[in-house]
Amino acid sequence: MYDDSVLSLPRLAVAGLAAVVGWGCSSEAPRDTTQVRVGLRFDYPTPNELIAPPTLAYAAINNQLYLSLMEEQGDLRDGPLPWAPGLAEEWEFSEDRLQLTLRLRPDALWSDGQPVTAENVRFTWLAQTDLDVAWNYASSKESITDVEVIDARTVRFHFSAATGTQLDDIAPDRVLPGHAWEARPFAEWRSDPGWFFEHLVTSGPFRLASRTPGSELVLERNPDHFEAGLPRLERVVLRTAAESTALTNQLLAGELDVVTGIGARDALRIEGQPGLRLLAYPNRQFTFVSWNTTKPWFRDPQTRRALALAIDRQAIVDTIWHGYAQVGGSPIISSVWAHDPDLKPWPHDTAAARAELAEAGWMDADGDGILERGAVPFRFELATFAGADARWEAMQMVQADLGAVGIDAQPRRVDPNALIPRLMGQDFDAAAFGLAIPTNLDLGFLFHSEEAGSFNYAAYASPEVDRLVDAFASRHDPLEGRDDLRRLQRILHEDQPILVLWESMSLVAFDEELESVAPNAVGPLVNLKEWAWRE
Amino acid sequence: MIRFLLRRLAAAAVLFLIVLTLTFAAVTLAPGDPLAPTDPRIPPEQAERLRALYGLDQPLPVQYLRWLGAVALSWDWGQSYQTGRPAADLLLESLPPTLLLAGAALLAQYVLGIGLGLLAARRPNSWLDLGIRAASLLVYALPTFWVGLMAVLVLGVGLGLAPTGGMTSAAAFELGPLATVLDVLAHLWLPALVLGLSMAGDIARYTRTSLIEFQSTEAGRAARARGLSDTRILLVHGLSHAGPRLVQMAAVSAPLLLSGAIVAEAVFAWPGMGSTTLQAIQSRDVPVVLAATACGAVLVIAASLAADLLLARLDPRIVAE
Repeated sequence: MYDDSVLSLPRLAVAGLAAVVGWGCSSEAPRDTTQVRVGLRFDYPTPNELIAPPTLAYAAINNQLYLSLMEEQGDLRDGPLPWAPGLAEEWEFSEDRLQLTLRLRPDALWSDGQPVTAENVRFTWLAQTDLDVAWNYASSKESITDVEVIDARTVRFHFSAATGTQLDDIAPDRVLPGHAWEARPFAEWRSDPGWFFEHLVTSGPFRLASRTPGSELVLERNPDHFEAGLPRLERVVLRTAAESTALTNQLLAGELDVVTGIGARDALRIEGQPGLRLLAYPNRQFTFVSWNTTKPWFRDPQTRRALALAIDRQAIVDTIWHGYAQVGGSPIISSVWAHDPDLKPWPHDTAAARAELAEAGWMDADGDGILERGAVPFRFELATFAGADARWEAMQMVQADLGAVGIDAQPRRVDPNALIPRLMGQDFDAAAFGLAIPTNLDLGFLFHSEEAGSFNYAAYASPEVDRLVDAFASRHDPLEGRDDLRRLQRILHEDQPILVLWESMSLVAFDEELESVAPNAVGPLVNLKEWAWRE
Repeated sequence: MIRFLLRRLAAAAVLFLIVLTLTFAAVTLAPGDPLAPTDPRIPPEQAERLRALYGLDQPLPVQYLRWLGAVALSWDWGQSYQTGRPAADLLLESLPPTLLLAGAALLAQYVLGIGLGLLAARRPNSWLDLGIRAASLLVYALPTFWVGLMAVLVLGVGLGLAPTGGMTSAAAFELGPLATVLDVLAHLWLPALVLGLSMAGDIARYTRTSLIEFQSTEAGRAARARGLSDTRILLVHGLSHAGPRLVQMAAVSAPLLLSGAIVAEAVFAWPGMGSTTLQAIQSRDVPVVLAATACGAVLVIAASLAADLLLARLDPRIVAE
């Protein structure tokens, strides 16, 4: 009797497990064509972007919930950034270009039924520039002296100076619901980010339907959105995970329909999978090594050129990125209109690198395998941010390449919080990191001599480069500055204050039955409102 | 028994304070300022206000005492530097999934471990016994990360026997209560099994040894002389003999389960404490790291305390000592 009951327990357990496994297998249910399930690594602690972590994924989500004054276009190949009408349906500069007047759409509504007004635009600017709010990009508003409400639909920006970047400084701003949020003083915004969920008012093509922290956001179609027939989907389920590989697995198992931000190794698993499409697109990011030109190893351009010749960047791209990147030759990357196509990256040529180094006075006088110039051995620390795995792998390859010409580069991973102050204070030898090229192509922050101690980590100084970046920044029409930018690229190519290692690509994979998925450099969900399942 | 409990609680409180202090020192003394502006164009006064908001403008001992005071008096663990949300809220949100996963893994490790140990002990040195011993050594040696990845690839992606990630299906809030429970269980069984496997081998080996030993004791021989079946002898009398040590092993496995959960959560996209902690460590989110460490310490200390109490109940001599 006793033994029988004992034996029945495992049977019961097996039956229960079978039921659970059976439930888990039931994902073969017919597809719900009103929704799409998207894998995206995100953190969405608050709908208020001025106090949220400034990540691309966060911006991609908030673009669905809030209207921008203008819509950013992804392709910069043919010309400077063309801004399409968004919340602002038309705009006009004053003759002296110190004022910009925008006319807002009459049919843009908040989710509480209130119209989106010029007052909301002014409130957004006030919040962006308030010290207590401490928005990360407040400095981008430095040239705006006032935002004037002309009437409910007309707003005027006043600038301190006319530059080529005025539109870029205001266009991408998502307008905040001042009428709903002004009740909370700016000084209290950061003390309770959850308050904004409780007072959530949105204006974008989607609304926030539900949220499971750390796991899922569900967006639903905004029925009051002004573009007829859009969004085409009723619902978008955004799922997150700590590792992008976990999202790829979910895509391969049919638990997700779209996955963004796929790593190159995971892309190899997706390539050729029936029913899935893999898209690679340039994302305006590039990775480079900044040589600290105040250090004895990197003072002369000839030595820096030798370093470029010694490093096999194609091998890095092939090994680490499996072809989903390309060797970079200029900080103005190849997917941008001002890129100089005649400027080829320095080739990998170890013999030429050795010759250049010898000519620059580097030789192995003591026979220890390391070059010296005078009493200075060519031995330096090559720092990169901890957590950047691809960059770290690349640094190992750089170390091997430089070792082959007698240079001892010592890669080191450093916590970003510790490294950034060191970079600003020129307390480093060489460092590798990534950057997105600014859409206005103003590269002064990287190379202008006045920016040494700021973003010009290399402490590079060239009067001609200073003149060129100043000239470009002051032009109203960036196209007129094409020659300035070409000249700038040629000087940087010869001087090599930074070595561009590669230009990155972003990878998105999705169910091939899904149509109109067209991610671009603006973000993976840029045209989410147009996505739909094939009929 | 009460004195025994008080003694254990006092020791646990001291241990907890030591863990908190060491963690605070480790994360705050590490090089670099967690709120250092990443953009040099951010005005210094803006950066200073942020530092003041999080209390980083004070000397380190003051920061420590304030933080400890806030924790002790109002259970305020500080605000996350990354999200601005209370660190305690972040942890409380992610703790239940971790406890569920760790609890299920504990269950899996005991069910599997004791079951396999019993099977092995019934026919010592048979092929089955040898197989179970070899398999238990193998799973003990394999890293959870690798086993998890293989399980996802083979059982999840390949055979479709289990969902490969998350704690629920997409938009599961629409499911009814029973369907939600089944959905969570469907997502739970594979990560729990993977997490439970490594310690299951240990338990199987101990159970086997203990049961074989028991059969040669006087009590074991007496049970056999009374004509009881092998199964009954092993299940009822043998397991009582092995019980105290098995309980101790549960306490030992608590920290392993928690650290393993961090790995399993990453592999299975399980939205638990592991993901939150990992993210906090990577971004130097000090309040969240401290709260997560404290949470882990409490869980481990509580598991150890529970095991002590259970052991004391099973073996009253321990209280007397």
